Amino acid sequence: MPEITGDSIKHRTFDAIVIGSGISGGWSAKELTEKGLKTLLLERGRDVKHIKDYPTTNKFPYEFEHRGEVPMDIQKESPIVSRCYAFREDTLHFFLKDKEHPYVEQKPFDWIRGYQVGGKSLMWARQAQRWSDYDFEGPARDGFAIDWPIRYKDIAPWYSYVEKFAGISGNKDGLAELPDGEFLPGYPLNAVENYFKEQVNKNYKNRHIISARGAHISKPQQVHLDQGRGKCQNRTLCQRGCPFGGYFSSNASTIPWAEKTGNLTLRPFSVVHSIIYDEQKGKATGVKVIDTNTKQEIEFYAKIIFVNAAALNTNLILLNSVSKRFPNGIGNDSGLLGKYIAFHNYSSTISGEYDGMKEFKTDGRNPVGGGYVPRFRNVFKQETDFLRGYAAGFSAYRGFDTDSSGFGADLKNALLNPPLAPWRVGSHMMGETIPKETNFVTLDKQLKDSWGIPQLSISVDYDDNDQKMIKDYEDEFTEMFSKAGFTNIKTARTKKAPGLDIHEMGGVRMGNDPKASLLNKWNQLHHCKNVFVTDGACMTSTSTQNPSLTYMAFSARAADYAFEELKKGDL
Amino acid sequence: MIIAGGIAIMPSCSNDPGKASIELKKINITADQEALLSEIAETIISVKDIPGAKNLNLHLFTMKMVDDCHNEEEQKVFIIGLNNVDKAAETKYGNSFAKCDARQRTALLTAISKEEEALKDIAPFLKIAKRRIIQGFMNSKYVMTDLKKYELVPGRYNGYFPVKQA
Repeated sequence: MPEITGDSIKHRTFDAIVIGSGISGGWSAKELTEKGLKTLLLERGRDVKHIKDYPTTNKFPYEFEHRGEVPMDIQKESPIVSRCYAFREDTLHFFLKDKEHPYVEQKPFDWIRGYQVGGKSLMWARQAQRWSDYDFEGPARDGFAIDWPIRYKDIAPWYSYVEKFAGISGNKDGLAELPDGEFLPGYPLNAVENYFKEQVNKNYKNRHIISARGAHISKPQQVHLDQGRGKCQNRTLCQRGCPFGGYFSSNASTIPWAEKTGNLTLRPFSVVHSIIYDEQKGKATGVKVIDTNTKQEIEFYAKIIFVNAAALNTNLILLNSVSKRFPNGIGNDSGLLGKYIAFHNYSSTISGEYDGMKEFKTDGRNPVGGGYVPRFRNVFKQETDFLRGYAAGFSAYRGFDTDSSGFGADLKNALLNPPLAPWRVGSHMMGETIPKETNFVTLDKQLKDSWGIPQLSISVDYDDNDQKMIKDYEDEFTEMFSKAGFTNIKTARTKKAPGLDIHEMGGVRMGNDPKASLLNKWNQLHHCKNVFVTDGACMTSTSTQNPSLTYMAFSARAADYAFEELKKGDL
Repeated sequence: MIIAGGIAIMPSCSNDPGKASIELKKINITADQEALLSEIAETIISVKDIPGAKNLNLHLFTMKMVDDCHNEEEQKVFIIGLNNVDKAAETKYGNSFAKCDARQRTALLTAISKEEEALKDIAPFLKIAKRRIIQGFMNSKYVMTDLKKYELVPGRYNGYFPVKQA
């Protein structure tokens, strides 16, 4: 690996720069280095080496001082990140401290970030579904945002490409609204998940319960073994980092792969201040970086730049990249940079019990969590008084009913020999939100962070469409649960602020019209063609799928295009 | 280091025999209170007769968790309740808790957990203490190794595992 010790411009010049080493940046780096491009991968946080830097990965519950709980002082110090489900005593080191990375909340927004090599790909929930044309055609059909510049056929081969390498488990379900992929064997539904699937099939047309599709190696292929990854061992301790490489992360997969090409230079502790635009050449020539430790400013140069800083930080970098040509942020002739931010509506959950299938329980753990309910609302035609719809998780679990009311020997016996509980079932909604100009991010005019970079100011909120959708999810799932004979059915609002879904998207949306969008169909800035954005910022709409797989596919597709354009001399 | 529930806890730096034996940052617990909590813990889940569980020190684990993982209000009611246990034992049985016999101790804790009027100020303490003692016990290396084995690496999933009919 080349050293970055010299001060000479030569040592700071690469073929490509990738900003951010999370799920999309890892893919950009892998693809570009494999094509032979000398690539600088910049990461604002520390390095995290696969296995070596997973300090908690093999710990037993009793080896944690607070048995997994986050102590009160840490919660008080970082109230935002403490609301994230994955923030536990065993994963603290993969999350930041709120006060070290401030931002402005014009409206409540829980911005969950992973500032380290691998980013949030270390702690993600690993659900991976393809979009279909019912998703890509949504804005055009329903008249919101703008039309996507691509369709399913444009991205389908790239879904296949990334799925094979990443390792996605799932079944061929044959659903038009959720296309099948290149799957490793799916994790079968359990007794009550299957029962619910049958009940729903019986009671409804076009509603399906399928095995959740996840980035877990259920059966390793040669390409996974070549990455040094093995079979998922059903630990479900994924957020600690997996010693088997059983789930996909940049750390286990794309980054070591890129390193093996000899073309990668990984530079942690490098926060990107802005992209450098050359007025004469009419293109970007590099990036201005601040070393997060020394606070020294360094410039790096390259022919192409991939921005994969995670959706909102990508917006921040572009907004902060001002020049004579682009006084309002690079590529921002339309004035829409930072606008049309959207997310996923995770506002409601539902639970119940099933007094059957008592002859079964579960044994071991399901790494993908159970079942998935693809969107069934407004898929083939508009049928409700709100736009779009929701997907949902669905899982069934059989635990124990421990009676801990006693004392002494009675209590000890009750704790150690509890009777099996009935099956309990649960679901959570994942709703599409409508991107709007009024949901936006800007740079605060006064406040800066410790590196002199303007703080991001976020103004994102739910709307009436979201509220109607929450009610519909609750009504429909209550009915589906009732018809299946579930009892004790309860809905519970999560009261999550936007952001806590950790699916924030948009701000640098794709589109055919340069007046109404920032990126073209190749994820290339309309007005600065050697800058590519392939993380969540590029999303024109959100649909209901967990988005990471689509970012992977966009990254690989755009890297391929960028390389071809470079070869032709067009960039 | 002191082992409590299978983990090491920093011993107190203080040589004051009146102080708790472990380092606490927020709450003040005296050696006497610590001894009382130890008796209460032993009454909640008796571990002294279990080989391998004798040194679980569930009362120290409880103190550590109350110190680190509870808010000020809960810490306050915990101390108030703990302070009132001996008084309640005196009223009911004419003895301090430690001097009550096993039956009396269990009866007193049962009465507290039922939130009997005279014992209402102790109930919140017992709720916290019991929860933490159960947690310390169930998540101890002893239980997770010898009694209810925790599997770090299951390597399998079966959604139709037959339940043995009794």
